[in-house]
Amino acid sequence: MSRNHSAHPDTPFALGYGTNGFTDHTLADALTVLDTYGYRALALTLGHPHLDPFGEGWAERTEALRAELDRIGLRVVVETGTRYLLDPFTKHRPTLVDAEAESRLAFLRRAVQICALLHAECVSIWSGVLPAGTTPEEGWALLLDRMPALLAYAAEHGVKIAFEPEPGMLVETVADARRLRSELGDPENLGITVDLGHCVAVEPGGVEGALREAGELLINVQVDDMLPGVHEHLELGHGDLDLALALRTLADIGYRGVAAVELPRHSHDAPGLAERSMAAMSRAWKEAVTTPEHPWLTEARNTLETNPGRISLLFAGAGRGVGRTPIDPDNDPQGIRRGTVDDHARAELVTTLRNHLPAAGFAETVVELYRRGDDAERRGVLYGLNTAAAQGLAEEDPLVPAGREIVADALRTNDPRVVAASMGTFSGRHLDQYSWRHGVLKLIFMDVTLDVVDGLQERTDEELSRMAVAFAAERHAAGRPVPEDVHRLTTPPTEREEA
Amino acid sequence: MRIFDPHIHMTSRTTDDYEAMYAAGVRALVEPAFWLGQPRTTVGSFVDYFDALIGWERFRASQFGIRHHCTIGLNPKEANDPRCREVLDVLPGYLAKDGVVAIGETGYDSMTKEEDEVFNAQLALAVEFDLPIMVHTPHRDKLAGTRRTLEVVAASGIRPEMVVVDHLNETTIEAVAESGCWMGFSIYPDTKMDEARMTVLLQKYGTDRVLVNSAADWGRSDPLKTRKTGEHMLAAGFTDADVDRVLWQNPVDFYGQSGRLNLDPVPGFTEFEPAAAGNFEGNSVLRGAPKS
Repeated sequence: MSRNHSAHPDTPFALGYGTNGFTDHTLADALTVLDTYGYRALALTLGHPHLDPFGEGWAERTEALRAELDRIGLRVVVETGTRYLLDPFTKHRPTLVDAEAESRLAFLRRAVQICALLHAECVSIWSGVLPAGTTPEEGWALLLDRMPALLAYAAEHGVKIAFEPEPGMLVETVADARRLRSELGDPENLGITVDLGHCVAVEPGGVEGALREAGELLINVQVDDMLPGVHEHLELGHGDLDLALALRTLADIGYRGVAAVELPRHSHDAPGLAERSMAAMSRAWKEAVTTPEHPWLTEARNTLETNPGRISLLFAGAGRGVGRTPIDPDNDPQGIRRGTVDDHARAELVTTLRNHLPAAGFAETVVELYRRGDDAERRGVLYGLNTAAAQGLAEEDPLVPAGREIVADALRTNDPRVVAASMGTFSGRHLDQYSWRHGVLKLIFMDVTLDVVDGLQERTDEELSRMAVAFAAERHAAGRPVPEDVHRLTTPPTEREEA
Repeated sequence: MRIFDPHIHMTSRTTDDYEAMYAAGVRALVEPAFWLGQPRTTVGSFVDYFDALIGWERFRASQFGIRHHCTIGLNPKEANDPRCREVLDVLPGYLAKDGVVAIGETGYDSMTKEEDEVFNAQLALAVEFDLPIMVHTPHRDKLAGTRRTLEVVAASGIRPEMVVVDHLNETTIEAVAESGCWMGFSIYPDTKMDEARMTVLLQKYGTDRVLVNSAADWGRSDPLKTRKTGEHMLAAGFTDADVDRVLWQNPVDFYGQSGRLNLDPVPGFTEFEPAAAGNFEGNSVLRGAPKS
């Protein structure tokens, strides 16, 4: 492939694309296109043409796909909204609210098996449109009757089910989905999928209200635009969705899962849509995380463009210039998870400098800034490294060894904000596994949330799980509390598979 | 009683001290760079020390709800060692840092030619960086040393309100009061100055331009002497406002001239939130409003 790879924006969740928008491509070609445009996740719709769940060799093909996803580093969720899989004449039928639904249930059980084999993050399902003559009460009773067995089957496979409210279906809003979950007794492995476009069409609280209402139950997100009251998936920017608000809200509620573009009627121009959607999401994310730039920062950047040598003075003065308040004072008063305004201003200065210095000189300057910096300046350097890594750093870039040297020093400190900043995107992509494990364990030891760790899910391995279990045992022996985040390390993908 | 200790060497103190200081009302302090008892032999030893003052010690203080600032400089005792003199070259990098609110401790120890040069060089840096400067008076031959200090300060061209002359006593206060410089007093268990004598001096000279500190370090000293002086003042008839002037407002006024104070309450510690935001342009009570 001669095309340049685009960068994935520095979102705390993974941006993906749904295969139902690539029905004129083979799955392998779709993956190539998505990887090229910077996508880091796949929403895999089972069925024609990509992975027939009932076809010969489905398990082998699933395992081969897992290997391919590992090779390019994509996360995956399983989608079940295939139109004519079960009935060649009637779209989507039968559904969970039809009187006769055995084929649907058999399909969903197979989806659970595939999800487990794929180590996918969840299986997304919906309720269905009530058939003529069925009352909502009857439909609801069918759901309550059918869901427990499906959830139990999923639980046996270590799989989460994400229930998606759909306009026009019995479960239409996030409130409906929450009510269903509650009436089912709040099963642990039942979460919620939210389609951002649907929020424009039917959610009473709009996109922000719906995402906040889903809250901690949100485990899958679909991204598309829509117009109020019209259930038609539109290209981003062609409807009324405030995408920046949606992405900011996702970050705000701590969402860490997959957010995949859902444009099932656009396969004829799939590569164009994939490219434009990523560009739209990148712009929206930038808008979401940057309040209008502080005048001090604008001036400092102008200064650097003509005089890069001023960086050390500007770096030292950033706190005085833009302030030192945390980005999210309510949920993160210390600025550990999301940093402070001066952390981000310094990262911007590092980025500006990168555009004005040759690579080797830039790497040396960054090391000097770190070495000569106080605690806040060191955080600024680490945030700058994370930005550079998120934009994509070739392994041969001199910034990679320089960054490793800086991270090694930061991991030796005992300042939680410095250690937290050192385990972000740069380390997620460029730190060796041994050091990375010890960094994660150090965060646990310091009682810092693992939300700050980039690549936690992908990189947690059996050795780190062993270390976490041993750490917990030590705390138990001492009669001391065990930090809750230990549990995020003690179930590696391999054990989930065996479960 | 909210307290800003304008001179204390926390690097030499324990976490018990931080806890006791917080309980006594200390919410902010300045740690001047000074000598460590054991003489240094290289510039690298200074660099690590300065880094600790702007890094680790600041973090350590914040864990106990106290805002830590520092001064950076080459102390007069080590100014006489040629192996340490080169530290003058690294000072400018530190003087640009956040939380560095003055140059110091500088001044005289034995009034040698080398001390003269280093003192003058640091006065020039104070003018260049528009920072206050903390000048320590000699332990021996104190009055002559204080007079000489004031002459050098006057000749340097620095504005007197940017200078604190520290470790004063009954014999040296008069000359400093007349110079327009700030007057610093270190309240020690037995030696330099004590609470009772300090209270008498405040009655005689008033509270303007007076800084009271514990100067606690690795020697016999007491980090709560600021509080004890405040209590002594109250017992002697001073008002709460007088005590607040001496123990909080005066250090804020003096070091606020740097534009580098951070008096925001440490997250999780909100008592004694300073009310007087707006008076100290550039300091973070304004949360970093840009300088016009």
